[in-house]
Amino acid sequence: MTALRRDNLGPALVVCCLLVAGCIISWLLTAPALSASKSSGYDVQSMVLYYSTLPRLATALLAGGALALSGALFQQVLRNPLADPTTLGVSAGANLAIVVVSLFLPGLLGAGRDVVALCGSAAAAAVVIGLGARRGFSPYSLVLCGLVLSLWCGGLSAILTYLNQRYLASLFIWGAGSLAQQSWAIPVSLVWKMAIIAIICAVVIRPLSLLDLGESGSTALGVKLARLRMVVVACAVGLAAFVTSAVGVIGFIGLVGPTLARLAGARRPAQVIVWSTLIGAGLLFVADGTLQLAAGGLGDFLPTGAVTAIFGSPLLLALLPRLKVRHRIQQVQGRPSASRWNMKVSIVVASAVLIILLALGFFVGRGPGGGWTVLSGEYFNEILAIRSPKVVAALASGAMLAVAGVVLQRLTGNEMASPEVLGISAGATFGVAIALFAVAPGFSGQLIFAVGGAITVLAVILLGARRSQFAPERVLLAGIALSAMVDAVVGVLSSTGDPRAVLLMRWMSGSTYLVDGTTATTEIMIAAVLIMIALLARRWLDILPLGPAPAAAVGLPLASSRLALFGLAGFMTAAATLTVGPLSFVGLMGPHLAREAGLTRALPQIAGAALIGGGLMVAADFVGRTIAAPYQIPAGLVSALIGAPFLMILLSKRA
Amino acid sequence: MRAISRRSLLCSAAAAATLMPIPLLAEVAGQRIVSLDYGLASTLLSLDLTPVGISDLADWGKWVVEPAVPASVSDIGSAYEVDFEVLIQLKPDVILTTPYLDELLPKLRPIAKVLRFEIFTPDSGPILPSVMAATRKLGSELGRDREAERFLARADEFFETCRTRLTARNTPPVALVTFMDARHARIYSAPGLFHNALERIGVKNAWTRQSNYWGFETIGMEELSAITDPAARLIAFDPVPPDVLPKLAESPLWQRLPFSRPGHLTIAPPALMFGMVNEAMRFAGLVTDILEKDA
Repeated sequence: MTALRRDNLGPALVVCCLLVAGCIISWLLTAPALSASKSSGYDVQSMVLYYSTLPRLATALLAGGALALSGALFQQVLRNPLADPTTLGVSAGANLAIVVVSLFLPGLLGAGRDVVALCGSAAAAAVVIGLGARRGFSPYSLVLCGLVLSLWCGGLSAILTYLNQRYLASLFIWGAGSLAQQSWAIPVSLVWKMAIIAIICAVVIRPLSLLDLGESGSTALGVKLARLRMVVVACAVGLAAFVTSAVGVIGFIGLVGPTLARLAGARRPAQVIVWSTLIGAGLLFVADGTLQLAAGGLGDFLPTGAVTAIFGSPLLLALLPRLKVRHRIQQVQGRPSASRWNMKVSIVVASAVLIILLALGFFVGRGPGGGWTVLSGEYFNEILAIRSPKVVAALASGAMLAVAGVVLQRLTGNEMASPEVLGISAGATFGVAIALFAVAPGFSGQLIFAVGGAITVLAVILLGARRSQFAPERVLLAGIALSAMVDAVVGVLSSTGDPRAVLLMRWMSGSTYLVDGTTATTEIMIAAVLIMIALLARRWLDILPLGPAPAAAVGLPLASSRLALFGLAGFMTAAATLTVGPLSFVGLMGPHLAREAGLTRALPQIAGAALIGGGLMVAADFVGRTIAAPYQIPAGLVSALIGAPFLMILLSKRA
Repeated sequence: MRAISRRSLLCSAAAAATLMPIPLLAEVAGQRIVSLDYGLASTLLSLDLTPVGISDLADWGKWVVEPAVPASVSDIGSAYEVDFEVLIQLKPDVILTTPYLDELLPKLRPIAKVLRFEIFTPDSGPILPSVMAATRKLGSELGRDREAERFLARADEFFETCRTRLTARNTPPVALVTFMDARHARIYSAPGLFHNALERIGVKNAWTRQSNYWGFETIGMEELSAITDPAARLIAFDPVPPDVLPKLAESPLWQRLPFSRPGHLTIAPPALMFGMVNEAMRFAGLVTDILEKDA
């Protein structure tokens, strides 16, 4: 009994703190309106209080609770501490469905907004969980699929919005949810939807707790596993869909809520589910209140979804060392299918494809009026002078990202490591942001700051790794949190209307538009030198994945070789991020594709990844420049769009 | 009879061209002009100059609408990310731009002569006189002074017609907005183009507070309650975001405003606030039509 009490005490304390903080903030928000003397007729202050401020506070409580409940349910049923509507792509799926329908079938939205959101999030959940099931619900592949899908949906909705309303374009990937209210309609509708789902949860909470006994144990106790899982997933998907349909994507509450509950001491599933709901409600309540207080009149325009990510991700980073390590990832293995492909054939094919893509990039374009043209005659030199920097910069960045991915995967023994997933690209973007806002920009200055940012993130990873032996979940979570935070910071900055934020947004989306001849030359030279260094380090990269003992046995300077290679990866990431932004996913795709093509040893894998990564980026740049010409779509976004489904197919194949 | 070969035709055409009376600026007639601004582009059309390229042409129908753009005009992409490949192939002689695109200047200058027009600047004052001055400047830079004067006279005549159409009636004051979402709107007032045009046709702007130098201010919906005249009308310009009207219908903040009474809100077709004389004329015409219909 005492144990039980202790389990509940911690979370209760957290909830109390959050609620007290929230109430103080709400008091600060509402006090002026409450104390003002009531005038007859249309009293602006009291109208705003009753129909905007108070509904907004209620919506924050409800949406926070719903998202955290959804996250807790996902985590319990998938037995995955990283699952939540954001990391599984469920919110992003709902959002994409709403964007697509509002652009192409606006008539459907009036009555069926929730239905549309439900379809979107159900489809996303089906894809992610379906792929996850093939891989035995490995937590990492599940979250990887989810994040990739999240990015894909976010990127696609950004492009669609951009193409249709250029004046209102905003390129958010993770969160653009706004809690601003103008009536009680949304909170009231959320209440009854949540009530229905809460009742279902109350019914299934006991059998759900039995899942902790393991599959055979719970089946023995009479739990109908498949049906139970179905019901719980449906509840969680429903919650995420309703919230997204009402207020947009609010990032990471569903991850932070249950994590906090567990850290505060909640142990049994029922405790985690109940307490994380309350903590989630309190969290969003406090976050949104703080935002309104801090931003004043601007508060209605700052997307709360982005702000929760700013609040949520550092919290997550701070809590990471305390998170219990429950899962281990398999080491990268030499794959038996390697014999399927001849190494030389793979390299030759990759080179041939790259050459074709380069030819396309250099010589094919669209003229005035939109017709496809092959470069020739009159404007040959002028147009080539415009195009070639973009193509060359794309080639260099893609190759560097892919090689950085190879290095990182070999160093960490984590097959999902890549500059993007580990947050190194995000660090580089942070560096660029600081350079832009604090110092005068210029290519070399930005490069130095980007390298600084990337190296800082790498250093943090290294320091953390010393204690946790590269526990992949910790590194992965930190990376996700960082990327989300960068996007959120940029999002918030851009909604303040600062012109420098527009430049930063351009970077985030990976546009090669501003690349000029000098930049491209510098990029390709940096790429050549760094890839050469990586090739020279092939022996280290072959031996290090075998583990510290064999590496030391063959006389490898363990610490210094690791340090050097991490530094190399950081430098490559920073240089590449400058032109293609942090979201391209080429650093993840390149190495995977190379390995899939049978290039398993370091030397061929680096060469293959460089060819494939470069090719992907050149293709992305070509598509981005031509598909909507004369309007440009950023190459980084396109490559995420091309790459994500590709990667998911790949993951599904290796069941 | 000997068939006229293409070459001989071209020769005689060239000969004829040299014999023709030379205008003040000889090269003007054949000038290929690209505009990176909607207002300047529509002014060009009114000066009988058809530009070869306009930025953001794909959205012309969404924001500018009138005058119609001939099919021969090419889209050169977003003004902020001009497609230079298309721009070069259009062989422009003159590129019209605004201070907002100054970061493109170093890339534009090698391609063609750049004419930069400052209309919306912090110290430009009332916009309508300033766009009229810009129209004259554009006319003189391109050797179309007479056309510019004629166009301005035409505009003046049009505003005068609107004014006389409305003087007979007792027109209510109007507030002009664009809805941003169900909670916020941009409201237009002095010194903006819409406010000036409203004054010109003798209609009172119900929103009396000064705004920023572009002529708009972002307000919460509830602030519309500051307009106390019960007769006042609200005109909202398209595009209205898709879910705004249904959300307003269930919002007490809106429901209790006098404007929510039937007949007090009109959704008007799009009109561009960042425009020039043509856009002011279109705006004046739309408002006159609306007020005439209800009065």
